[in-house]
Amino acid sequence: MFSSIDDVIDRFAKHQYIASRRIATVIYLASELKKPVLVEGPAGVGKTDLGKVLAQALGQDLIRLQCYEGLDEAKALYEWEYAKQLLYTQILKDKISEVLVGAKGLAEAVDRIANEDEVFFSERFILPRPLLKAITSDQPSVLLIDEIDKADAEFEAFLLELLSDFQVTVPELGTLKAKQLPLVILTSNNAREMSDALKRRCLHLYIDFPDKAQELAIVKAKAPEAAANLAAEVVNVVQSLRKIDLKKTPGISETLDWVKALTLLNIKSLDEELVNETLDTIVKYEGDVRKAQEELKDYLRKSRARRGSPAVSDKDLLN
Amino acid sequence: MEEKLVEFANLLRQNGVRVSLAETLDALGASELTGLNERETFRAALRATMVKRASELPMFEELFDLYFSGLGEIIKQAGRAVQDALAMSDQEFQKFLEQMEELLKKTGKQLSELARQLLRDNSGQVERMIRDAAREMRLSNIERSIEENHFARALARQLGLDQLERELSQLREEIRNSEQDAGTKARMDEYIERRLKALNDIIKRYVRAEREKRDLRTRDSERMQQLAEKSFYYLSEDEIRKMNEAVTRLAQRLKNVISVRRKRMRRGRFDIKKTLRRNLEYGGVPFRLRFDRRKKEKPQVVVLCDVSDSVRNVSRFMLQFVYSLQDLYSRVRSFIFVAEIGEVTEHFRSNDVKEALDVALKGDLINIYAHSNFGYAFRSFLQDHIGAINRKTTVIVLGDARNNYNLPHDWCLREIRRRAKQLIWLNPESRSTWGFGDSEMERYGAACDMVEECRNLNQLYRVVDRLVTR
Repeated sequence: MFSSIDDVIDRFAKHQYIASRRIATVIYLASELKKPVLVEGPAGVGKTDLGKVLAQALGQDLIRLQCYEGLDEAKALYEWEYAKQLLYTQILKDKISEVLVGAKGLAEAVDRIANEDEVFFSERFILPRPLLKAITSDQPSVLLIDEIDKADAEFEAFLLELLSDFQVTVPELGTLKAKQLPLVILTSNNAREMSDALKRRCLHLYIDFPDKAQELAIVKAKAPEAAANLAAEVVNVVQSLRKIDLKKTPGISETLDWVKALTLLNIKSLDEELVNETLDTIVKYEGDVRKAQEELKDYLRKSRARRGSPAVSDKDLLN
Repeated sequence: MEEKLVEFANLLRQNGVRVSLAETLDALGASELTGLNERETFRAALRATMVKRASELPMFEELFDLYFSGLGEIIKQAGRAVQDALAMSDQEFQKFLEQMEELLKKTGKQLSELARQLLRDNSGQVERMIRDAAREMRLSNIERSIEENHFARALARQLGLDQLERELSQLREEIRNSEQDAGTKARMDEYIERRLKALNDIIKRYVRAEREKRDLRTRDSERMQQLAEKSFYYLSEDEIRKMNEAVTRLAQRLKNVISVRRKRMRRGRFDIKKTLRRNLEYGGVPFRLRFDRRKKEKPQVVVLCDVSDSVRNVSRFMLQFVYSLQDLYSRVRSFIFVAEIGEVTEHFRSNDVKEALDVALKGDLINIYAHSNFGYAFRSFLQDHIGAINRKTTVIVLGDARNNYNLPHDWCLREIRRRAKQLIWLNPESRSTWGFGDSEMERYGAACDMVEECRNLNQLYRVVDRLVTR
């Protein structure tokens, strides 16, 4: 566990995650209060990464559950291995007949089988899914429930027992209590509003787009191979793009993609042509691309003028 | 601390942020962990435990600043001001305070608690005393800025300011008579005087801050209420922006309700064929049951929106509503009309809302400066676009039915109704004016399943509720 808020920041930084004080505070509180964290924010600001890095920073296993529409208990919690049970019954046919030897009438036979049914509904035949794994694990672990908003409302209700008491109920086996309390991170993209009951049980963390200095620090940490001034330019461009009204605002992951792509192309500095060619790494919609081009034209002209290089292109000279 | 947090939670609640008791307890636990020394950390702790909706964060920030910069900050500022006025460095000031303490001991004078703490510059204790006094005289009842002076006087009385003044003037007398060097005497004299003034100042500023807090409690809820009741006709730019947000939220609500209903219907009937096939691997023992999936019935909506001059202000909102609707359902076709009718579905789909509204209201598509003619519009619709309507379609007409005494052609509307699932008419005019002058509402209304007055957001809310639950 973490000893202080600064400890969180340091250990996250070691794994290339630049955590703001706000994020670190919430993580620290979560680890001290043993409360799950609900992380919200726009796409691509590092919500899922937070869970992954938390596991690394603590040196614990990461158990991940990706949510989607139609996700049910069988896929999230546990499932009986029917095929295995069936196989065992087939193989053990003789033994079963032995049990039944001398049984008078159907009723007695059923009783005898019933006496033995614990064999088939034991932990041997249970197939643990992520949630059960997190509960029964002997080592403390980090449970990442990703995109909880994609799951159905019923599943959310089902999670409540797990999140408040860290226990689950399997009808055949009884209630299983967590041996080690897992640290739970839930992420949501706000596709729908979470229920109040769930929110009440969680700490809430809203991660917004980082400011310029922070984003630059993130780029430097995640893509150290990029030239320093290129990184600064890219961050500037992305920051200015976030100010205009786009259908899908570029996140940090897009910034990183772009920096990496440009570095791969061995590019040291941005110009208009280059931006137009590679813009689709950060802007994903046709309409957005057009808007972004408009915006960036102004921006690049300004920055060129600032740098003192000739602001006019050949075309302007001809006129 | 507990008290302060509970009070803060109350304040949040009064401003529409839902904070449960459990969350307040969490906040308490969290603040114990983080400590109160660092303001930003403390803020982050409260943020994480008390606010669970991103939309409520701005409100939280505002209230936090207001609440926790409160009395403590005011007292500290006043203390600094006194120190500055005496032109002393921190060290000097500390030494000066010690001198003062010694002198007090020497004179052997019994000072009241308040005077002692005040002269010692013990801001924490002073704060506690002011707070206690404020609670005693119910400062939280303050409502208007006129009452500030009254409450300030009452607080001063509760605090025992008269007695304090007497005490301090006696003290100053004694100091003047004591055997100190003149410089120290003068400084002490000034210090005491400034202290007293500062306390008066603190009381006034505290009362004002309380009043502002109180204002905040009522202000926002009232504003939203007013906005909801306000007619679309009389909106300023700023209000229009707010209303836009509200319509978007409304559409979101619509979305949520629909997805819940779909889920409930998701499971269809038991499917024998699929079950058998699926369970072949278990030797035909039906371990896993299969159900056929109900087909999702996608709502189909056709909207006819009047954009004539008489409803210009409203039509912006109507169109906004249409835009949200189209964003929401995949099968919405939108038409605008004055006399001619034109389809705007494509424009709405490919443009963002501002451009889309501009396209619709600019007059490129149809002549929007004509006199409205509902009859003609319905007839053209029947001729050119009737294919848009089938048995599953809900038709929504938005308009005031002011037909300029043209032929109403209400048979066209009946025909549209006959082919559609339902026909809803939303009229921005108030019900009492329907049917007067050139309004054809009664004639048209007879052909509709539902006719609603829809002039402001509250009415729109109601209509949407009814629309969704049908």
